[in-house]
Amino acid sequence: MPSVTRLSRRRLLKGVATAIALPPLEAMFNLNGTLYAAEVKRGVAAAKPQTRFLLWFNGNGITERYWMPTTTGADYEITPCLAPLAPFRNDIHIITGLDNPAARLPGPGNDHHRSMSALVSGSSFTGHGAGAASIDQLIAAKIGGDSRFRSLQLGVSQESFGESIQRNLSWAGRDRALPPEMIPHKLFDRIFGKRDEGWVARKRSILDTVQADAKTLASTLGHQDQMRVDEHLSAIRDIERAITTLPPEYSKVQEPEEGGDMKDWPRIAKLQSDLLAHALVTGQTRVASYMLTKCQGLSRFPWLGYTAARHHDYTHADGKAPGFDGPSGQRIMRDICRWHVEEFAYLVAKLRATPEGDGTLLDNCCLMFVHEHAEANSHKNNGLACIVAGHAGKLVTGLHSKMTGTVGDLYLTLADDVMGAGLKQFPTADRKLSGIAGA
Amino acid sequence: MRGRPIVLWLLGASVALCATDVTAMRRLTHSQYNHTVHDLLGDQTSPANQFPQEDFVNGFKNQTSAQSVPPLLAEAYGAAAEKLARNAFRGGDVNHVVNHLAPCRPRAPGDAQCAAQFIRAFGAKAFRRPLTSTEVSRYASLFADEARRSGKFVTGAQLIVEAMLQSPNFLFHAERRGDTRQYEVACRLSYFLWDTMPDADLFEAAARGALATSVSIEKQARRMIADPRARQSVDEFAAEWLRFDRLLNAVKDRRRYPQYSPELVQAMTEETRRMIADAVWNDRDFMTIFTADYSFLNSDLAVLYGAAAPSAEYARVDFPAGSDRAGIVGQATFLALTSKPNETSPTSRGVFVREQFLCQKVPDPPPGVNSNLPPVNEDKPQTNRERMSAHATQQPCAGCHQFIDPIGFGLEKFDAIGGRREKLELKFYNPHDDDDEKKVKTVLLDLDARGGLSGVPGADFSSPKELGNILAARPECQECVVRQLFRYGWGRHELGVDRTVIQAALQRFRDSQFRFKELMISLVSAYAISN
Repeated sequence: MPSVTRLSRRRLLKGVATAIALPPLEAMFNLNGTLYAAEVKRGVAAAKPQTRFLLWFNGNGITERYWMPTTTGADYEITPCLAPLAPFRNDIHIITGLDNPAARLPGPGNDHHRSMSALVSGSSFTGHGAGAASIDQLIAAKIGGDSRFRSLQLGVSQESFGESIQRNLSWAGRDRALPPEMIPHKLFDRIFGKRDEGWVARKRSILDTVQADAKTLASTLGHQDQMRVDEHLSAIRDIERAITTLPPEYSKVQEPEEGGDMKDWPRIAKLQSDLLAHALVTGQTRVASYMLTKCQGLSRFPWLGYTAARHHDYTHADGKAPGFDGPSGQRIMRDICRWHVEEFAYLVAKLRATPEGDGTLLDNCCLMFVHEHAEANSHKNNGLACIVAGHAGKLVTGLHSKMTGTVGDLYLTLADDVMGAGLKQFPTADRKLSGIAGA
Repeated sequence: MRGRPIVLWLLGASVALCATDVTAMRRLTHSQYNHTVHDLLGDQTSPANQFPQEDFVNGFKNQTSAQSVPPLLAEAYGAAAEKLARNAFRGGDVNHVVNHLAPCRPRAPGDAQCAAQFIRAFGAKAFRRPLTSTEVSRYASLFADEARRSGKFVTGAQLIVEAMLQSPNFLFHAERRGDTRQYEVACRLSYFLWDTMPDADLFEAAARGALATSVSIEKQARRMIADPRARQSVDEFAAEWLRFDRLLNAVKDRRRYPQYSPELVQAMTEETRRMIADAVWNDRDFMTIFTADYSFLNSDLAVLYGAAAPSAEYARVDFPAGSDRAGIVGQATFLALTSKPNETSPTSRGVFVREQFLCQKVPDPPPGVNSNLPPVNEDKPQTNRERMSAHATQQPCAGCHQFIDPIGFGLEKFDAIGGRREKLELKFYNPHDDDDEKKVKTVLLDLDARGGLSGVPGADFSSPKELGNILAARPECQECVVRQLFRYGWGRHELGVDRTVIQAALQRFRDSQFRFKELMISLVSAYAISN
């Protein structure tokens, strides 16, 4: 049973009437719908908050010369791409050198396809999608069951070649994409939309009827078709759980305005990050994935002044050629990579500014920042550049570490030693990495 | 070494699929969803445009293997259903809507008899078959609870609509046997030929048992093909086959192509759409889409093509006798969607021709190959042909590229947005100031547009017109049109067992001098009765 208590909205509002004047982000609630800040004021010891896991992705890899610190340890230099994270040095761990071996398994697809499937699932690309469930979904399957949403998928930039493997970060299983919600006000509506009790009751009765339809239908079908209907059924159950455990605080979060420039990715990214922070601190979910730009993405960057070509075009620049392949190619990529890190830093800042328990939300988060490639131009899929951020499970931070092992090893370490998911295995992982989670 | 296994795969052109991939159940595509709720409820809002995007598999968006229902889509269905049901009963004209669907006037909020009539009548349209008694009572109890709670008949009816629109019976159409088999035949005909739900005639035919024989099915198909709704299905087929989405999402370097705008892109796809529609609906030889020395232009496209201005927007314009532009491969849609932002891509053009027009699967580069070509710089300006020489000389590249690049080389006199060019114009910008015109260095290079369709004897060409004529005459290309429509119609890749159907359709297509309508009728009739 979901742990979010079903409180009537009216009862809740009475209880926290004094808190309503607070700006939205500070008006945070714990899992029982009580205000953390109020609790602290009253000196009530809060239960230890739950840990949260976020898989963060941006497409097209990096330019190593401007991204990778050359020195390791606590005194590593902040590179131009990492500059936005300078204020959060002690909240992050730069991890370089990990391999993504499954990217080199034989199979269909181009380098981006293969690297993406291998990156998220440790399995080879199927020709359509990822070869297996993605790491965030494996974790969600273990720890997400008690939350209103087993997991959430968010996205920002929509510009891509349009294939499934390029557009999706989370996979429920082989070839089963979980598309991200890209539109802030829709995401808001999903998590915090205003509902009255009558609406919930209606929705429940509809979903019960639809489930009964699906069960009858499934019994008449062949195996493959049955699986499709089962998938639909499980989606219906997920919705039912989400609406019957409506958060008492939904009326407290400010709705992002509709309209505005919907291709202004920096604006959309910040709105999505704000909503994600709300969703995490109010216990809507413990697991999320965030796809800032697409795999082999085709975003344009007008706010950086680069409009002649698209993200992927810019990556194939080696500093010698004209136009977007021009001498400025690597510097353009530097600025693009820095923007991606900047949006990540915005979220880290948001989490750190959000009080929870005796500390902040960031204290209970484990953020994993990955790209499908290391050096973008050569489609490199070893020596990856990763960032782990947050302090959940005593994560080691404040360092740049060069590590040997696979990205699967890192996932397994985070999943089991930090998130307590007890996966015990992950494709391409054969050991846990030391120096990730503190004692 | 000539990379023999790869070559065989390329020309053998069939992809092994395992039989378990075949499923009979099809989810409404987003386009079918929009058309269906329009026909069912008069909705004009195209709610599926807000759904998560569909994936292209086997070249189309309606392939069953990609039709999952992740939670985000299920929620979108829920939100759309809520809105559609509300809109259907909007404006207090309750009796109109209810009476429209149920031949009764509710005598009380909880009028169970009238409710059951409504459920049967609306349900038969939404589920595209009569409801079972279990289903009627299931929805009747949903209705009763809501009518009791609200004290209004209409909110109960609204809830029925909202629920049915989320039911798998609405969202999918499944293979059926026994009594409802003919309703499934009706659905197959209507979704294939109209991209929407069956009309009253079809429902009535299914109820009468008049969709049992090939003759009666073909008779229905002929009626349907004469209906304007058939145009929306052909439009959708063409848009997916010719990948309009890639053009609509493409960007071009605005310094090179300042005239490239969303309006121009719209005009490009409109031109192609009209070319296909003209061939299909005016009963022309369909293969003329590859050879036509005319097109349907608006004034912007006429400027881009250097053609005579059309008498009206998108009127037919004949190209001058000496023009080397003709057919689909001479249209800006194809030429632009296969190009990069600032330059053509002979490789992309070659792959597109092989895959879309010859149904030959081109494998991706093998893992670990550096697929970056040497850059072009001011000191050593090169044409695409020169730059891509590595493709022809190095292994493992040459094994496939010898079949791909020469196609694109033959189209090099058409630039990245489909304009004609005599020479290749390379521009080298000042690295510190992209926009400073004075600092731009321009180099003009002669173009060698000799190309060819490797593997086909005597298929050398140096213009879209010549390529178009080669394609139209090739049996592979003619069969490919059949196979593409098969994939679109069946929702899956063809298998060995489909050979009979495809060969029969091809024969009929040829016998009719390539009338697309005959092809459609042949394929849809086979589909309607297939397992």
